[in-house]
This record gives sequence, structure tokens and C-alpha cells, in this order.
Amino acid sequence: MWRTGSAFWGSLSQVVIVLIVGMVAAEFVLAQNHAFDLDGKAVDPFDAASGKIVVLVFLRRDCPVSSRYAPVIRRISAQHERDASFWLVFPDKTETPQTIRQYLRDYSYYLPALRDPEHVLVRLGQVQITPEVAVFNRKHELVYDGRVDNWYVELGRSRAAATTHELEDAIQAAADAKTPAMKQVRGVGCYISDLN
Amino acid sequence: MLYLGPELKNWRSKIVWALFLLGLGAAATLFANTPIFRMPTPASDPGSQVTFNRDIAPIIFRSCSTCHHPGEAGPFPLLTYSDVRKHARQIADVTEARTMPPWLPEPQELKFADDLHLPVSQIDLIQRWVEQGAVEGNAADLPPQPKFAEGWRLGAPDLILKAEKPFILPADGSDSYWNFIFRVPIEQTRWVKAIEIHPGDKRYVHHANILVDRGAMSRKREAEPGAGFGGMEIRIESQTFDPDSHLLFWKPGTVPYLEPDGMALRLDKGTDLILNTHMQPSGKPEVIQPTIGIYFTAQPATKFPMLLQLENDLKLDIPAGQKDFVVTDKFTLPVDVDLLAVYPHAHYLGRDLQAAAILPDGTQETLIHIPRWNLNWQAVYRYAQPVILPKGTTVGLRYVYDNSDDNALNPNHPPVRVRAGNRSSDEMCHLWLQVLPVNTDARQGDPRMLLQEALARHNIEKNPSDFEAHYNLAAMLQARSKIEEARREYEFALRIRPEDAAANNAMGSVLLASGQPGDAITYLMRALKARPDYFDARYNLGNALASQDDFAGASEQFRLALEVQPNDADVEANLGSALAEMGHFSQAKIHFERALQINPNHVLAKENLEELERATSK
Repeated sequence: MWRTGSAFWGSLSQVVIVLIVGMVAAEFVLAQNHAFDLDGKAVDPFDAASGKIVVLVFLRRDCPVSSRYAPVIRRISAQHERDASFWLVFPDKTETPQTIRQYLRDYSYYLPALRDPEHVLVRLGQVQITPEVAVFNRKHELVYDGRVDNWYVELGRSRAAATTHELEDAIQAAADAKTPAMKQVRGVGCYISDLN
Repeated sequence: MLYLGPELKNWRSKIVWALFLLGLGAAATLFANTPIFRMPTPASDPGSQVTFNRDIAPIIFRSCSTCHHPGEAGPFPLLTYSDVRKHARQIADVTEARTMPPWLPEPQELKFADDLHLPVSQIDLIQRWVEQGAVEGNAADLPPQPKFAEGWRLGAPDLILKAEKPFILPADGSDSYWNFIFRVPIEQTRWVKAIEIHPGDKRYVHHANILVDRGAMSRKREAEPGAGFGGMEIRIESQTFDPDSHLLFWKPGTVPYLEPDGMALRLDKGTDLILNTHMQPSGKPEVIQPTIGIYFTAQPATKFPMLLQLENDLKLDIPAGQKDFVVTDKFTLPVDVDLLAVYPHAHYLGRDLQAAAILPDGTQETLIHIPRWNLNWQAVYRYAQPVILPKGTTVGLRYVYDNSDDNALNPNHPPVRVRAGNRSSDEMCHLWLQVLPVNTDARQGDPRMLLQEALARHNIEKNPSDFEAHYNLAAMLQARSKIEEARREYEFALRIRPEDAAANNAMGSVLLASGQPGDAITYLMRALKARPDYFDARYNLGNALASQDDFAGASEQFRLALEVQPNDADVEANLGSALAEMGHFSQAKIHFERALQINPNHVLAKENLEELERATSK
């Protein structure tokens, strides 16, 4: 079940973000602010990942940049399967388990998916755009949030291939118990705040 | 001897046109089919409330919904408040960055027909609307949602052709370039007023071009018939002086349009249409199977536009890391023309693309200026009104390339030296101008020939070892019966490419026409060595041998020609003549009759058959 932080501020009616020397520990509470799996069950992506790196990948079905990243996400998640648990997170509250299941089939995703209608995970991961990722180290502290890589320069302009690989670098750093070189690099895609 | 010999006037030569990306015009007025929306008239007070219904919906409906509705290229619909609300900040960003609507040219004096450029006032309005919280506003202010025709925009086509086999666009990787061949099933020449392109799933096809392949040359490139073939840039050789004349282009949002009065594209039996497509992977495999709808007209064309190509690929040798590599070209028009459309083309290093015209009185007009080129949004730009360019006008291009790492689209990281070529990692420096010669003097002949000749001379000046320029110039001269000059140009061409089949055949035909069959034979044999199934060279060689009274050799060549192309009346008639010359009358008769079956009005066959009957009845 939900773990509560050893110290948290604010009332129980809010998501609690615990700041530990500039990092955000993945602690969240309160029944109405859950992320849900595709069976409608409240899920804590950190629960099942004790001692593992957790990567949340934020996607919008109506964001073509999100979709183009499917093969990249599939590849990276397969490569780091041993060290990291990957979750696909859909922050659009109008999405249903059916539409998401179809999307996972279309894009050959075999990763667990979560609906995040109240943006609990969005706030926890400090993401703003789809596609962006939030990487939590083995202690489940947020160590990186932002773009997967620099494939896209801006909407409508993408490189032939990415030349920087922030997500993979962050996972590698977390696996080596180091701090990633980049803590945050904003992505190119669709605003999550447009869904509010 | 009573029999007419093989008709030397039937010699044929092939003219190779350096052709690329040609077809019948499209693009046109993007909003021709949609109602005119009233433009917002918001209070000038920057503090006033901007609402979707009153201020934003008219902009969206006019400039976004055309593509952003189901079935079109836009990845999500923009038809309602909630659609737009879900992308509000994104819309504010992309309009401010001028990424959307996709329109690359700067505003200029010469207006384009389908200008999508958003005025600054509208961009500002969208910014304010988002800053103020993207308010919906009063329902009474909302203009009616635009209606979009489904299916064929121009009504039911006369002929619908579907690509025989789909292309499977991979989920991942770089952009794909694929060519679909449409075999046009017509029995006689037809005139085309419009072609509507349905490129498959519009969300993944970035643009598509139709090329006219009059000699079914591209079929050889298919691994199996109907499969299509890969390639970003393709070239098609043409057999006759049939300069490409129309730009048939599709990009997201294109509304097909009818050719203006007097203009139409000729389609002959056996013509293939090649759809050259550029696709971008979507993240999952996509099945792309385009369809085209052809609209015929009973009116043959009376106006013949032509595509002029400015280029300077030879100068494209861009050192690794160079940020501002400039390439120019300019050409002076030998006749008066109306400029109808322009189509600039570069690959991923192209940054700033400009074209201008300097009129004989010295005034300069910007024809197009794209300060931030993006291959993904390349397009044909059609002028709202034809641009009058008198004889003596110089048209020029100036393209700037960025081969540094600062150019994020640079396909090479780190940068490498890049030269001209057909792959997407190579570069190009092309500008097509669709011009209609006007005020022409019929005594001067086809004005397009004058343009083509001037262009070939210009290209030779730029690059003396330009094979195609020498070849095309020779062909123009040959067509104007300037045989000696033509011969000289073919010689230049053959010095550059000694084994080229078309040039050897053309040289053979020139020599044959000037009464030197012995010399002609050497070139024709060389053409056939390079391409044994070269029908025209076989035919010409047969004629050359016949001119030297080698009728056995001639009939062998004519028989080989018939193996390549079985239903040719000229070859049948000449084979009959050769056999008759050898006294094989019964065989000769069969071939004269076969010629007449193919073409009942074949004069030579008819006369020779009568002659044969007279001779054998004696």
C-alpha cells in the first residue's frame, strides 16, 4: 500500500512531496489522488520495485511525438530490464483503459501502463511535456526528469538520429549509484498542462 | 529495281531529358472549398478578454481545421473548443515559432495563391487567449464549424488507380522515400484536367509528387511488377521533345485543382504515372497504399507551359563544418513568359533559399524567400496571378547551406564533406519554375525549344562536362535540322560518356540522316552493346545496313527489333522491304500486311504491297 514519508508537509488532502537535498522522494498519499492500472486498481509504481530504478514515461495518445518514441522506449526498457522498472503513464483524464490497451497493442508495448487523471505522477516526476520521463534511483529519489534524448529539436524538426541520450545516461548513473550529469532537460512535444 | 527501300526519314532518336519531379499542377487555393470566415475583430485594448468562440475559432477554422480534422494529415482534430483547449499552449507556441500553419516563404509583394502565413495580430491574439486561461466565451459568438467534403474533393474521378502493392512503413528509423508506379489503362491519348492524389495515410506521408513516365522506364526498377521502388530523387528519360510542364504535388492540406483554361496534361497509351512519396515513421508499422483519381477533359491543351530548372549541383561541395555555404545560378530568358509557380528544393543542409528576377528595366522582384528551409514542408508555390517576365529577364537563385553541427538537421554528426546527390544525406540545389511562353512568334517554332536550347547552353557554360546539357542541346539542334552543330554536340556528349546508349544511338541517327551509314553503324553497334534491347538503335541499325544494301543484315536487325517491340508498323514495313529486296516476296508480303494490320494507313507498306502485287502478277 501507500507508503508515507518519514517526514511530510502539508495536509493529507494534498500530494506530499518530500524534498531531500534537492531531490524528491517518491512518496505519495491519499486515496483520491491515485494513478490507476488498466483494471482501475490504484497502483503505486514504487511498491513493486523495491531496490530497483523506476522510470515513468509520460505519453499522450494524441501527441505524434510521443508515439514516434515507442520503438525507442521499447528498446531502452528492454536493455535496462534488470535494473529498472518502466511504467507508461497517461495523464489525459479522458483516456479509458480500452483506448490505452488499443494504443499499447498498436505500438507493440509490453510495459505496464497507468492512468494518471489527477496528475499525481506528473507532479511527482515534475514533467511538463509528453513524451518526457522521470527517473528515480534505487532509493526512489527523483534524479532526472525531461526528454528521452535530443532527437527532436522542436515540433516538426527532428534529427536523423539523437546525439545525446539523457534517459539512458540517467539510468546508467542511477545504476552506478551516481548523480546523472543532467538533472532536467525539457522535452519537445505536447504540454501536459493543456490537459488541465 | 522497283521496290522502295527502307525509309530513312523514319530514323528515330531519343532525347534524354534530365527530368525530375514533374507532373500536373495541384496545390492551388487551399480554401477554395471552405467558406470564408469572418476574421476576429477583437478590441484593440490588449487587456480585453479574448474568447475562443469570438476570437480564436475563426482563426483555427480558417488556418488549422483544414488539416486538423479526421482523415486528414493533422495528428489530432481542431474543430471544437475542447479539441483546441487540449492543445492551447502548444498552438500558442507553434504559431509564435511559425512552425504552424506550415508555410515557409516570407511575405512578399508577389502573392502566392494558397498563402497560409498567419498575420502577427492573429498570433498575438492566440498568445493572449492562452495567457488569459483559454476561455470559451459566449456560445452565440461561435461561427459555424467548417464542413469538409469527404472522399474525392473534385467529385467522382473518371479513372481511379490504386497502387498495386502497399508499402509497409517501418515503425522506426529514418524517413522513407518510396515510388509507386500507376500503369494508366488507356487505349488512346487522353487529356487530363486534374489528378487528385490520395497518398495513403495522410498523417505519415509528408509530401508526394507525380512524375510522368512516357516510356515505362521506371518499371525496370521494380523488384516485381507493381511492387514500386525506393529512392528519394528519381530521373526519367523521355523519348521525344516532351518537356515536363506541370507540377503535380501533394502536401498535407492540398486541395486538388483544375488546370486553367487551355492547359491539360497529355497521357498516351503506355504512360506510367510515378508517385514519389516521402514518409515519416510513426512509431508503429504503417500500411501506405496510395490512390489517384484522374479527371479527363475532351479539350486538348492549347497552352503549353514548361518547367525550367535552375540548379547548381556542381558547386555543391560543402566542407564539413561550414555554416554559410552559398550557391547561386542565374539564367536569362530568351522569350517572354508568364511565371505560374515555383518549387524550391534542397535537402537537410539547406537553410536560406531565395529566388529573384531582374527585369530588363533593372527592377528586381523577389520570387520566393524561405529564410528557414525545412525539407519536411517543401511545397510547390503557385502565384495568385501569373508573374510577367519579359524576354531578357534574368531569373536567379541563391541558396545558403549550413553543414555545421549547429544545424540540428545535419544528417551527419559530426559533419562530413557533402556533395550533390540523390540520397537524403547528399545535397541538392534546385529551383523549378513553371513558365508559360507568351507573345510567341510561330515562325520561330516551339518557344519551349528555344527555352530548352538556351537552358542547355547555360548549363554547358556552368559545366562543360555536363553530359545531359550537351545531349539536350544536340537534340534541340537536330530537331531544328542543324545537323552539323548537333553532331558536334553529340561528339562532346560522347567524349564525356563514350558508352552511353542513347547518345550513341542519336549520333548514329544524325550520321544516317546526313548520308553516312557506314559511320552510323559503328555508333549504333556501340549503343546496342550497351543496351541490347534498345529498340530504336536496332531499327536505326537495320536502316543503316539497308542503306548499304546489306539486306540480310538489315532484316536480322528488324527481326530483333520486333522481338523487343512486336507491334511496330514501321519495322514490319521495313522488314518487308528488306525481304523484297532479297527476292523473298511471299515473306515480304506477310510483313507488309502485318504493318497494315497495325496501321491501316501506313503509306510505305501500302505502296510496297501494291508494288509487290504488281511485280508478282507479271
